Amino acid sequence: MANNYLTSESKKLATWYFTFAAILFGAQLLFGLVAAIQFVVPGFLFEILDFSVARMVHINALVVWMVFAMMGSVYWLLPDETGIETVGIGLGKLLYWVFVAAITVVVLVYLFVQVGPADITTIWFINEGREYLEAPRWADIGIVIVVLGFIYNLYATGMKGNRSGIITVLMADMLAFAGIYLAGMGYTDNISMDQFWWWWVIHMWVEATWEVFVGSIAAYGLITMIGAHRKTVEMWLWIEVAMLFGSGILGIGHHYFWIGTPEYWWEIGALFSALEPLPLVAMFIHVLYDWGKMQGEQDAQGKEVSVISNKPAFTWFVLNAFGNFVGAGIWGFFHTFPQVNLYTHGTQFTSAHGHLAFFGAYATILIGMFYLAVQGKNGIKVMYTTKKSIWATCMIFGGVLGMTAALTMAGYVQVLVSRAQMGATWAGYFDGQAGVWFAQGMDWRLIMGVITFVGFIVLMIDLLSIGKAAHHER
Amino acid sequence: MAKKSVWSDNRFWQRSAAWVTGFAAMLMIWLTFDTIPQIVLGSDADFKNGVTKRVPGPTVINYKITYEMNAKRMHEIPVIGGANAEGTSSFQEKELFFGRDDWSEDEARELLALGKLGSQAKNCMNCHTLLGNGAYYAPDLTKAWLDPAWGPEGSMQAMTGKDTKEEAMAEFLMHPSQYPTHARMMPNLGITAAEAKGLVAFLKHMSSIDTNGFPRNFGKIKGAVHGK
Amino acid sequence: MVQEALILQDIQIDDFLTIFVSSGLVLVFGGFYVGIYTAVKTKLLKNWAMPFAYLFWILTCYCFYLMGSLMHVNDFTAKALMVAAIGLLLLPHAVYYMQDQVHKKNEH
Repeated sequence: MANNYLTSESKKLATWYFTFAAILFGAQLLFGLVAAIQFVVPGFLFEILDFSVARMVHINALVVWMVFAMMGSVYWLLPDETGIETVGIGLGKLLYWVFVAAITVVVLVYLFVQVGPADITTIWFINEGREYLEAPRWADIGIVIVVLGFIYNLYATGMKGNRSGIITVLMADMLAFAGIYLAGMGYTDNISMDQFWWWWVIHMWVEATWEVFVGSIAAYGLITMIGAHRKTVEMWLWIEVAMLFGSGILGIGHHYFWIGTPEYWWEIGALFSALEPLPLVAMFIHVLYDWGKMQGEQDAQGKEVSVISNKPAFTWFVLNAFGNFVGAGIWGFFHTFPQVNLYTHGTQFTSAHGHLAFFGAYATILIGMFYLAVQGKNGIKVMYTTKKSIWATCMIFGGVLGMTAALTMAGYVQVLVSRAQMGATWAGYFDGQAGVWFAQGMDWRLIMGVITFVGFIVLMIDLLSIGKAAHHER
Repeated sequence: MAKKSVWSDNRFWQRSAAWVTGFAAMLMIWLTFDTIPQIVLGSDADFKNGVTKRVPGPTVINYKITYEMNAKRMHEIPVIGGANAEGTSSFQEKELFFGRDDWSEDEARELLALGKLGSQAKNCMNCHTLLGNGAYYAPDLTKAWLDPAWGPEGSMQAMTGKDTKEEAMAEFLMHPSQYPTHARMMPNLGITAAEAKGLVAFLKHMSSIDTNGFPRNFGKIKGAVHGK
Repeated sequence: MVQEALILQDIQIDDFLTIFVSSGLVLVFGGFYVGIYTAVKTKLLKNWAMPFAYLFWILTCYCFYLMGSLMHVNDFTAKALMVAAIGLLLLPHAVYYMQDQVHKKNEH
């Protein structure tokens, strides 16, 4: 690459991770579109690329691009936080290629083999058929090895260099993140037991360890982008960790309402779920508060300029705080109580929540990290938005909000028709699907999905070109 | 000089975070140890001894299963082999499953394993929901075994030309696109006769799991639907 | 552990919309409360706005109540909802207090 301002190998490796993450992000949206079309035109690619396959790639690409971008984010911030070059960078690079190769093979097998006979070889080599954790077992083992290497690098660097609060949180969080994955690797004939451990992975990832990861990245972003005081930010990070793990770990109860687990999970789930939005409110307020405080200090010195050193990235960080609160908070909260969840569980409500929460809580901040990397790579001191970055932000955020609204509407029809009245039978299900509002919801979801995808393309163009724009401060 | 306050001390919050997380994690582990024994697969002896398990043994396929409102728990529960005076399982009434009601523990276990593996190998969960979890492109399978559509008055037995629920289900699973029930069809997944049998056993077993009343009002309301 | 049934009766068809809207509004109003409180404390808004913050907290509580009663919650859940409402009331106070302490300490 010409004009690469990065001197740190760790940051260079981070850009590799971000690049592959962005490609998978595109794949996620593309296969999401295929699945969305199938809801509207049921015969689309029937028995060629069925909904099950499209959706499997959609959600797997989602998880994997986020894991890639998360690992990239850690490699990006390690030299800044620890003050030294990442230890074991060669290992990091090797594992990057191992990971990329493994994911490529897994996706090709998903697309071209799709299903296997009902025996354990399918579980080992084709797919495990468990939502989000479909990766076959050989890939599970590969992922564990890659993540162990990553953790070694993180720990070795953290222990050798300056171990800041952010690094300490990340060290603990990433270990938990990796360890929990092991809970999802087994096989059992008992579907209740299966889902019990499956939720250990899914829930403990997205409602605990990933949220804490986001807290750490947001802390790093506040320090680097607006010069927030490290002491304040790190204090907040610890409080967020306490609140997120305090409510998030036992919040798993809301997944144990109906899978065969005992009734006491109702109470546990209701109580801790009710508390789960509180840290999200706190995170939101914390970002705005620090921003206001820093801008206030700047203004007091008589300087009329913004404190933000990377406008597009900071925009995405603020959208993260907002999206996390709305997507994970509001959309999670309104169907989290067992009394209501009895009717909403397994409807498009869940899907609406899933879309806005994954996007709001994770995609946003990781896109923000992409922009931080572009800034660093091009040696820019203060990076401003371009027309493209504004368009991309509006289209992606508007598109996802639109999809969420459409899915919520569809979910509402399902709750009333398929659930409250027809009790989730085969006939009830299709009666719900036939509702006019449901069908319209699916149409709008597709339209909004297309807008999101176009926004993604604009985002990619912007990421590749914004560094060359002339209006930045260098 | 600002007073040194514990509330603004990072080490205090670091310790608090560690304690809160540790406490929540310990509680979680303790609850896991409490839950796991309650959801292990039951055995054939449970039926003989009249013991109700949340997840009954595989030989539940030998019994008739219904889903009844329980006055004490105020929601529906699976009732195996007919109800007793308290409205819970009596394990008396048997039901033929592929022509037999004497599947041994080993045979039933093998059938269930085949079905569970099949459900994963064929990726059921990325269209259907199982126990409410999965994708929302096709009906929930939690109580599919008890669905009126597959019963003697439902349309599926006539459509597949079979006389029993299990045979109709197996036939459908093997040739789903031959029996379109909706514009959105199930694709042919190459399910063999043996696998289909296993899958039906898996579905029957799943319908006997105590899901705390999920789904509600299953198959109770027939006819006109309000607000459609 | 479970003394009484948690799900006491079916939710009325006509109540679903109110339940979803009110539970969504719980966090929206809650967010307004926290937001206005913070804005006043950081002097983005004048002091007269503070009563509106508390007004939004009261609205939050009303939404909790509406949602809870239409869902026919049992005593335990009602208590959990009350704890959440009080937690929300205290949250920004605690946040501001601590933030202030840290800033004081850093500036001196």
